[in-house]
Amino acid sequence: MNIVQKKLKKGLTVALSGLLLCGSLSLTAYADEPYDVYNYDRWGEAIPSQAGYLAQRAVSGEDLGTTHFNNASDIFRDHNDRFYVADTGNNRIVVVNTDWTETVKVLDTFTMPDGSTTTLMSPKGVYVSPQNDLIYIADSENSRVLACDLDGNVKICLEKPASEVYDQQSTFLPQKVLVDKAENVYIVLNNTTNGACVFNAAGEFTGFYGANRVEPTAEVLARYFWRTIATEEMQEKMKKSVASAFSNFDLDDEGFIYTSTESATQVMDRVKKVNPAGENLFADYNVKWGDRITTWYSGTSYVTRIVDIDVADDGSINCLDSTTGRVFQYDKECNLLFIVGTQANQVGGFSRVTAVETIGTSILVLDGDKNTVTIYDETAFGETVHYATELYNEGRYEEALEPWYEVLKYDGNYRRAFIGIASALFNKGDYEGSMKYAKLADSPYIYNRAFEGWRTDFLKENLTLILVAVAGVAGGIAAVYFVLKKKNGNNGKEGKQS
Amino acid sequence: MMDLSQKEWVSHVLTHPFEGFEDLRWKKGGSVKIATAVILVMFASSVAASRMSGFQFGTLPDKTFNIIPYIVQTIVIFLTWVVGNWAISTWLDGEGSMKNIYIYSAYALIPYVAQEIIGTILSHILIQDEIVFYTAVYTIGLIWSGVLLFMAIKTVHQYSVMKTVFAIFLTICAMLVMLFLLVLLLSLFQQVYVFIYTIYTEIAYRVKV
Repeated sequence: MNIVQKKLKKGLTVALSGLLLCGSLSLTAYADEPYDVYNYDRWGEAIPSQAGYLAQRAVSGEDLGTTHFNNASDIFRDHNDRFYVADTGNNRIVVVNTDWTETVKVLDTFTMPDGSTTTLMSPKGVYVSPQNDLIYIADSENSRVLACDLDGNVKICLEKPASEVYDQQSTFLPQKVLVDKAENVYIVLNNTTNGACVFNAAGEFTGFYGANRVEPTAEVLARYFWRTIATEEMQEKMKKSVASAFSNFDLDDEGFIYTSTESATQVMDRVKKVNPAGENLFADYNVKWGDRITTWYSGTSYVTRIVDIDVADDGSINCLDSTTGRVFQYDKECNLLFIVGTQANQVGGFSRVTAVETIGTSILVLDGDKNTVTIYDETAFGETVHYATELYNEGRYEEALEPWYEVLKYDGNYRRAFIGIASALFNKGDYEGSMKYAKLADSPYIYNRAFEGWRTDFLKENLTLILVAVAGVAGGIAAVYFVLKKKNGNNGKEGKQS
Repeated sequence: MMDLSQKEWVSHVLTHPFEGFEDLRWKKGGSVKIATAVILVMFASSVAASRMSGFQFGTLPDKTFNIIPYIVQTIVIFLTWVVGNWAISTWLDGEGSMKNIYIYSAYALIPYVAQEIIGTILSHILIQDEIVFYTAVYTIGLIWSGVLLFMAIKTVHQYSVMKTVFAIFLTICAMLVMLFLLVLLLSLFQQVYVFIYTIYTEIAYRVKV
């Protein structure tokens, strides 16, 4: 017995070490992401997928030739492809070069227009306007937004508005800042649900912009009902239904503002594309942003909390989920492309993510606990998907056909590829192929169109045959009917007679 | 007069919604075999309708397919209907036997089953824009079956119209009670099973140690 066990153990050890050896030989170093890459299928279930991005390196303050970041909370890429890190705990803005190899400048003291010097206190957001080259800093604890040049000369200082529209009893603690093409400044505050606080180019407060809608949950509806029958005094004592405020935003090339909401209860307007009138253009898209599954563990629910959003140059939307440390990348039509990252200690994993930014084919994720910036690069798979998606979204379905076939070689479960191929084949007039791929994509809508085409073709080709067949069958039935009637009629007569 | 074979009775009943069941009752027609066949076909067609419909009208995911709901939705519901109606009729002076309720109700469901089969075939020929034809077939089948079922209950127990409505209402209540008891019984049995299993594991553990 013992000998058998020992032999077994020995065999197992040899086999295992052999396996390990094979593994270490065949796998390249970067293939070891600290997580299983997944995507969602049509039914909303997580399925294994290929990695669209792989973590290349993590950069800390020391790597850039400056001191360690402390609780860094925002990262921004300007029009010259320089990066700005809002180093909240160290009260400074660090300007980094394009390749993330060295610090260009550290901004910690500023000269006010009147000549006095000032410092920051917990800067939480940074933005650079390509129009006037000014760096906008959400200087949170100082209750102001500074706009300065690269030498730290403050040109504009925005403070709590004296307007009646702004509730004078509440504080003014800017969290994030953004500047549109008309140089209007949008500021996210931590204590209002009205939307972003807007200042015009002259520095005057003009109002709020882009508030979320109230989610029509059962509780909200019940409250609405009671409110309609309550007296005014009762109404004053009742709770109000208020939408959660959005926590972060970004501007795309066309000037649309994208907002993201961190609150777990706000599912409806979690990510918005806001038009100048303040309406959500994604309202009818019916996309479930972030992870679809809520986990309960020790009485706490873990729901997607999107802390930052970034719109890349190609229009893809990157949402950063702080619960799981994942970046969810969507194309501009809100189709999920990739899920990148996790909670882990290795490179490619995070502790508490705070900001996401993109440059070219890379995604950068800032971790406020690890105080590093992790740089992800696109894989060959990611490149093919992006190329195909771009062609597809431009309506060039047939050109996208080859890239989509390529995508399927990497990942046979990638639903967008099946949709792309089905659409391309439909446009080419290959209805049968389109039907096949529409079925694989689980898309009744495309299948319906392809089937309609196929049916039309079928009828065109076989109309004579069908007509002849119908006439033949009808004639046959009629003949049989008459023969039977004659027979029955005779029988009936006989029956009556007898 | 009206010496029809069992098959001819089926078509007679279907095409004469108001007189058919009276004739059937008068001549003591109707067969349990055909009725059972109808119910089995209803089960098969309900599975077919959800699994074999044209893809342009959407299908359910294969991996979550479960046969139990289909059995419950057709066979179990029908049997509870028969038992419930029989129980109510004994209380409301109905004249129908359980066998007759079973046969008449099953005959009444034929248009519904036909509708389901025709709809499934149509879904391979139509596109989404032409769904109105599909809906038309569905509606006709449903109304036809509804009228037949009403007449079947009215005839089999020799009720007036109002009494039939009342009996059907009570039957539905009885069905709910039965299904509730069934679920209760199942969960109780499961608890008993868990209890016995726990004792078994406990004893097995003691014996081992």
